[in-house]
Amino acid sequence: MNIYNILALILLLIIIFLFRIRRHLTKAINEKYPENQDPDWIVDAFQPWYYHLNKIIGLMTVTLITLVLLGGYGFWYSFKIGNQQGYQPDQPIKFSHQQHAGLYKMDCRYCHSVAEKSKNASIPSPGTCMNCHKYVQATAKYNGQISPEIKKIYTAVGWEPDSQKYLYEPKEIKWVRIHNLPDLAYFNHSQHVKVGKVTCQTCHGQVQTMKVVSQFSTLQMGWCIQCHRTSNVDVAGNKYYEEIHKRLKKGETWTEEQNGGTECGKCHY
Amino acid sequence: MSNNQYWKGLEELNKSPDFLQSKSNEFLEGIPMNEAFKEETYELSSSRRDFLKYFGFTVSSAAILAACNKAPVRNVIPYTFKPSEVVPGVANWYSSTCNACAAGCGTIVKVREGRPVKVEGNPDNKINNGALCAVGHAELLSLYDKSRFEGPLKNKVKAEISSIDKEVGQTLEEINAAKGNIVILSSTINSPSTLAAIGEFSKKYPTTKHIQYEEFSSYALLAANEKSFGKSVLPGYRFDKAKVIVSFGADFLGTWISPVQFTQQYTAGRKAINGMSRHIQFESNLSLTGSNADVRIPITPSQEGVYLLNLYNKIAASTGIPSLPVNTVEGPVNMIENTAKELLANKGKSLVVSGSNDIDIQLLVNAINIALENIGMTIDFTNFSKQKMSNDVEMEQFVADLNEGKISAVIVYGANPSYSYYNANKFKEGLKKTKLSISFATAHNETSADCTYIMPDHHSFESWNDHEAMAGQYSLTQPTIHPIFTTRQAQETLLVWAGINKDYYSFIKENCAAHVNGLNFNALVEKGFMESSTKEDPKSDKPASESNTPVVKHVAFVAPILTSKADLGVVASNLTKIDSDYKGKFQINLYEKVGVREGRMCNNPWLQELPDPISKVTWDNYVASSIVFASKNNLEDGGMVTLKGLNFGTEIPFLRQPGQANNTASVAVGYGRPRFDKMGDPIETIGKNVYGMVSFVNGAYSYNAYGATVEKAAGSYTLAQTQTHHTLEGRDHYRSTSLSKYTANPKAFQKQVEIISLWEDRDYRGHKWVMAVDLNSCTGCGSCVVACNNENNVPVVGRDQVMRGREMHWMRIDRYFTFNQFSENGSADKYRADFYKDLKVDTNNDGEANEKISDEAFENVSVGFQPMMCQHCGHAPCESVCPVLATTHSGEGLNQMTYNRCIGTKYCANNCPYKVRRFNWYRFNDHDKFDFHFNNDLGKMVINPDVTVRTRGVMEKCSFCIQRVQDAKLLAKRENRSMADGDVKTACQQTCPSGAIVFGDINDKNSDVYKLFNNERAYHVLEEIGVQPSVKYMGKVRNTFDEKA
Repeated sequence: MNIYNILALILLLIIIFLFRIRRHLTKAINEKYPENQDPDWIVDAFQPWYYHLNKIIGLMTVTLITLVLLGGYGFWYSFKIGNQQGYQPDQPIKFSHQQHAGLYKMDCRYCHSVAEKSKNASIPSPGTCMNCHKYVQATAKYNGQISPEIKKIYTAVGWEPDSQKYLYEPKEIKWVRIHNLPDLAYFNHSQHVKVGKVTCQTCHGQVQTMKVVSQFSTLQMGWCIQCHRTSNVDVAGNKYYEEIHKRLKKGETWTEEQNGGTECGKCHY
Repeated sequence: MSNNQYWKGLEELNKSPDFLQSKSNEFLEGIPMNEAFKEETYELSSSRRDFLKYFGFTVSSAAILAACNKAPVRNVIPYTFKPSEVVPGVANWYSSTCNACAAGCGTIVKVREGRPVKVEGNPDNKINNGALCAVGHAELLSLYDKSRFEGPLKNKVKAEISSIDKEVGQTLEEINAAKGNIVILSSTINSPSTLAAIGEFSKKYPTTKHIQYEEFSSYALLAANEKSFGKSVLPGYRFDKAKVIVSFGADFLGTWISPVQFTQQYTAGRKAINGMSRHIQFESNLSLTGSNADVRIPITPSQEGVYLLNLYNKIAASTGIPSLPVNTVEGPVNMIENTAKELLANKGKSLVVSGSNDIDIQLLVNAINIALENIGMTIDFTNFSKQKMSNDVEMEQFVADLNEGKISAVIVYGANPSYSYYNANKFKEGLKKTKLSISFATAHNETSADCTYIMPDHHSFESWNDHEAMAGQYSLTQPTIHPIFTTRQAQETLLVWAGINKDYYSFIKENCAAHVNGLNFNALVEKGFMESSTKEDPKSDKPASESNTPVVKHVAFVAPILTSKADLGVVASNLTKIDSDYKGKFQINLYEKVGVREGRMCNNPWLQELPDPISKVTWDNYVASSIVFASKNNLEDGGMVTLKGLNFGTEIPFLRQPGQANNTASVAVGYGRPRFDKMGDPIETIGKNVYGMVSFVNGAYSYNAYGATVEKAAGSYTLAQTQTHHTLEGRDHYRSTSLSKYTANPKAFQKQVEIISLWEDRDYRGHKWVMAVDLNSCTGCGSCVVACNNENNVPVVGRDQVMRGREMHWMRIDRYFTFNQFSENGSADKYRADFYKDLKVDTNNDGEANEKISDEAFENVSVGFQPMMCQHCGHAPCESVCPVLATTHSGEGLNQMTYNRCIGTKYCANNCPYKVRRFNWYRFNDHDKFDFHFNNDLGKMVINPDVTVRTRGVMEKCSFCIQRVQDAKLLAKRENRSMADGDVKTACQQTCPSGAIVFGDINDKNSDVYKLFNNERAYHVLEEIGVQPSVKYMGKVRNTFDEKA
């Protein structure tokens, strides 16, 4: 609320007070000199609502507050529409990142291998799983039986564990996509992972502790912009940025925003 | 400077009331109110109750949507075993060869996750050097055509490949036992392996004959070359080495033989202004080539021979060859004299070509080139061409035999005679008399409908093939997608029927060794082509065996000159007779359009929506006539006329075409083909088929209809013409001058303008992307438009929407006409001075043309082409009026368009001085009415995944291919290097055969674009309004006669 709103409020109050004072004065004069009563056109004209002023003001205030509250809630809520932060769907295979990335300390990029080359980080093909799971069958945990989850990989690739051969028709695995960017936004993993040297955890959270992965960030535009405004471009060691930085002749620190990282056309085309 | 007054169309020149009204409106039509209002009463068709219903529905659905804010389950399915070469999200490029025509341009195909999404020219290929024409780009869309055959058919009923093999094999055996004739009818085939496969088939069935048939034949050229030089081949033309190019109706920049190759050669000889070649064109219809000519002389088709004879005599007189008897030409005698003078001054550095399919004319052209010592210089028989092979005589004989029942089996491969043969019914009747008729067509067409068996071929993007389009240029086609339907490659089918069970891939691999010395097949596949090291120039002394790299085996062919004078005597009398017979009579010639060509891809939406470069008509063909003829017969644009040939008649729309020679008309072939639905039933026919006008004269098909008539018919038909859409109000945006004026004053293109800016100048110190367009190079071919459609997912809107001015093309090529300036001194070009005696084209004070232009003047126009796209203004007028900040400016000088912010006020389009913004009136990607492949799953495979598909209600425009800019920047960052000039090429620049478009970073002082921006011909369009465009145009310089003669 700025100064003008406050001023307007004060003026409105003064007007109301003046009206009241005037009414009382008029009443006093009329009582004293009932014979030379002047017809007060203002009072006449506003009589009906004037007498109900208190009620009207009360009603309006209540309505206003309700509207403001509702509007505020709507405004706040609108930011949540499409926000899937915390989204944690069930996956067809109960794959645990905690076990693979946390316990066994596998590099994220062993499976999400193209994150440094492509816009996608990519879901690994079951063929990649087979690199280890041809042999790793978690039998100890299942009384000598192959883990039912690992069996699902075998079904997917058509592997026959006894004969150690790909015998059957492969069957696709339908993973449920957790991170959904709208089609109108272009995002490139390699820009962030390879060039920007952003760790996976910055956006995806501590995945190595998650048994079931959930969406860590909001993935909303404000969240993107926030980071682009605050993070600095890592100029040193990249000849492209060195050249551009030289041309721009900006100071030592140079944020992503100063490099045009918050322009519409960087993500929307 | 350029006091040439340019105009875009007759309605603009004549200031027709409709035009004046439409140009004052931003959009040709208002909001489509007829959908909201009842047509008869103009009352709201929705009632108050409707409103309440919709309102209630909206509120409740919004509430429901808000209540269940759950993520839609989106599945993601990885490869079971990811192929190591596939990186999801990154395109692979495969080298291949374009199969849209037989010119053999090398291509690279962009493949995303197993589907081709774009074709570009292969920059290393020597035929096209990275460029591609509109047709080459559009070939990709035909891969995703839902009217393709999904599998083999027998009598229009689904059949199995194996059962067809068995039945056809049996029938062929029977025919073979009875010594019945088998004919394989194909279009031009220059693939050695395909010919070998046909050879294998012929070995098994010795009565087989292979006939090559071209819809728009160049047989006369082959036949004449056989007579003149002893070999039935096309020479390799070298337009780059010619200082003077004289063309008689050959549209070598648009449609003739190998347009991309010729365009590159042609512009190569004209890039340097000083020493640019001079191009003289004699023609009847205004072709793309004619519109680029320095000097264009309109002649009637019947005059061509007699003009050539006169030219021959003028040259003969100077070279001591006996002249030929000839009629004198009425009209521009000086033109012939000047042309002869020019040619003689450039002996061995000139080139005379003719597009005619008349053997006499081609013999005469050969004689002229021999006299000018051009053979071996600009006409190269060492690197001869196989780009158009057909035999009209054999085809005629074949149809005759067919009707006599002499042919037992016909295999149609690539040709479509039921549509394009001039007497199609005769062919159809004949085909019924055969025992066996098989079509290898990939999609429904007229001939396949007449065949018993349909054994669909793979689409060229699914096929292996090899090509030898030019002698010594060996290239491969490799498949870039797994076959979508149950099809089999035609060559493989032939091999199977010949009893050879070998896939075509292995067959090519083996066959290839016979063509390439030191072959490494995989390396060849990777590179896509290989050339012979036979020296290009017979006079160069580099030995052929010098290099160790694999080379194509190639036998040089040195042309012996066999033409005798006796031959030419007959030629002269034949040609003189044509002139005497048809002098002064109305004549029609048939021509191919730049987009649709001979009609193979008539139902390709990209090509149909591409405006004709000259008339700017989309989706139709028409009779284009001279203004004189129109006035005489009281014909109007868009009126229906009856076109009558010898045994042919049709009703077709009419159009007045400036540049068309007086008393003639022209009409394009390639139209009148239906679009077929999935079942092969025709749904809608585009234009009219006029192949019936073709006649077989003197041993070749003639595309000149001398006795044809055009009469007014009832009714009218509006042609969807874009020429006056997005008009620029007659400002000085297209600047041109003549070479002599330019040499005298090179600064002439610059205009002194005082610009007062209300805005602060922006600071571009990083990158600043700009574009330079050379109007002198641009030929107006439209390749860029189709490339842009493909790259940026630009929807096709169809004829109806184009008529409403709603075409979506991000890039358009503005075409301007101007009357040829008459000679100042009068002596150099008396003919034209006389011609313009009564003509007043001077302007009054308002810059408006006086209306005393005689109809005759309209045949003599000069044409200018100007590619127009978003100019990415520094002080963009569109940006300041957008109420929602949907269009903003980037620090790299790009005018960005954010579709998801746009609410469709169209203020930006209103405020754009270049009229380059396009509004999405419909959801074209999901609308039954716009059935142009974009709205079905198959057609959607062509979509570029890196560019948003825009929805209804948003504005869009050229983005300077920002996705390519971003991609190139990212690549540089990843590879830890600064960007080099040429790292970013926009789609239009990449494909431009003339290299007219250059894009780059102007802050890089070594870039090409920086040099071009400082070129003295460079100017901004509408620089006086101070919007600081990022595009500069280099003014057009014409090497005209008047100044130099």
